[in-house]
Amino acid sequence: MSYKIPMGPYHPALEEPYKLDLICEGETVCDSKLRIGFNFRGIEHLAETRNYIQVVALMERVCGICSNIHTLTLCQAMEGLTGLTPPPRAKYIRVIMAELERLHSHVLWAGIAAKLMGFKTMFMTCFEIREKVMDVLCAISGNRVNYAMNRIGGVNRDISDPQAILKMVEALELEMAHTVIPIFTTSRTAISRCANIGVLTTEKAVSCGVVGPTARASGLPQDLRRAAPYAAYAEMEFDVPVQPAGDVTARLLVRALEIMESCKILRQALAKLPPGEFHTPDDKFPFITGTATSRVEAPRGEVMYSVSWREGSRTPSRVHVRTPTFANMPAIHWMVMGARLADTPLIQASIDPCYSCTDR
Amino acid sequence: MSPLENISEKLGTTEPWVEKGGVHWLPLGAMNVRELATAMNGLHARFVTITAYQLPKEEGFRLEYHWDLDGQLLGFSFPLADKSIESIYDLCEAVDWIEREIHEGFGLDFLGREYEPLLLRQGETPGVNLRDAVAASQEKK
Repeated sequence: MSYKIPMGPYHPALEEPYKLDLICEGETVCDSKLRIGFNFRGIEHLAETRNYIQVVALMERVCGICSNIHTLTLCQAMEGLTGLTPPPRAKYIRVIMAELERLHSHVLWAGIAAKLMGFKTMFMTCFEIREKVMDVLCAISGNRVNYAMNRIGGVNRDISDPQAILKMVEALELEMAHTVIPIFTTSRTAISRCANIGVLTTEKAVSCGVVGPTARASGLPQDLRRAAPYAAYAEMEFDVPVQPAGDVTARLLVRALEIMESCKILRQALAKLPPGEFHTPDDKFPFITGTATSRVEAPRGEVMYSVSWREGSRTPSRVHVRTPTFANMPAIHWMVMGARLADTPLIQASIDPCYSCTDR
Repeated sequence: MSPLENISEKLGTTEPWVEKGGVHWLPLGAMNVRELATAMNGLHARFVTITAYQLPKEEGFRLEYHWDLDGQLLGFSFPLADKSIESIYDLCEAVDWIEREIHEGFGLDFLGREYEPLLLRQGETPGVNLRDAVAASQEKK
């Protein structure tokens, strides 16, 4: 006999509100239904009432974790509509901010995953390290969450002392290499809780169109930083970690390895930061009528913005945001199928879902 | 033959690709969205999203379908004469949520599929144009 377990929209195992109805037979999940929309704020529609300065500030609020990525993608799309090209220094600063944000996001995720594994010491360790990443972000931007770094044609703030930031990054890298990475890759607690659960096969990952670490942990080597480089990524050397197993362990390993790759990119970008201006000289520019699209590899995967503008208009006529969780979340249905009920909080967390982004 | 020319050949069109605003656009002529989705599946392109546009005055709507092929973003535009278009959900599982979101946000119908509500407006009937609903509620005030 099957029965339904409603999880959410407000539940201790969920970080944000959504509803996962699990149909179970005994302790085994045999079907699921997912509902979102509890955070729906109509931001895309609101964007149509904001001018080109206000809309950047608004879209930074789509997400509290990858706020910088949203403004980066939006600004890149709007640069396509204005014909502005950011100076090389701005492109490097964008890479530095994006990789610091990836570090902060992956370490935050690692902490939450550790908590769901029942590994609370690790949760505290991860959050302590995350604080240090946020200290670096604050040292650069003056803010811990919404950094207000991107503008059309460049960035708002320079990195005046890259060597000081480099030292902070090196200290972080050492700490992560000695604590987070070995514990997540060798600890029996982590392995026993994550191995062979929440499997998303390569075939299903392709069919669901998943992105980011979720795709890479199912054997798909897709990463926009490599496939369609933006900012200064074409000048960076880095590997794209891929794991074929498709289970929670694979997602854990991909993110752990990406933390080290992000540190590698940060060291290169800080060491090679080119001299010069960090934004274009003009603050006023005409928008070309039409639509421009930009894509960026956010910590959770591909973000895409399409921005439309009519000539002479003060506001965009359309801003469409496709977030990575929006692409990844439907795959949860396949991941929990056949899983033990007790594993479902960790399985759904393994894609690092962001409902603030998804609902927008 | 370039990958884009290869796509044109598979789609049976001689129209040139136009790169604009970060997207490679191909005019499709009489090809419908289901033929396009079948061709994209054959090319192993990854579905990215559909962007809906409500056009000014009485011009209706436009849907832009995007697929990724080896890092190149491909775009195909479909003007809607009425408020409906055939669903490609049975051909491409990844379109499920975006078809549902557009249905709930713009009141457009994707024919040939059933909808589970995503609940953009909790408790309300899905399938209305939220922009019109907001404008109507502001007029009331």
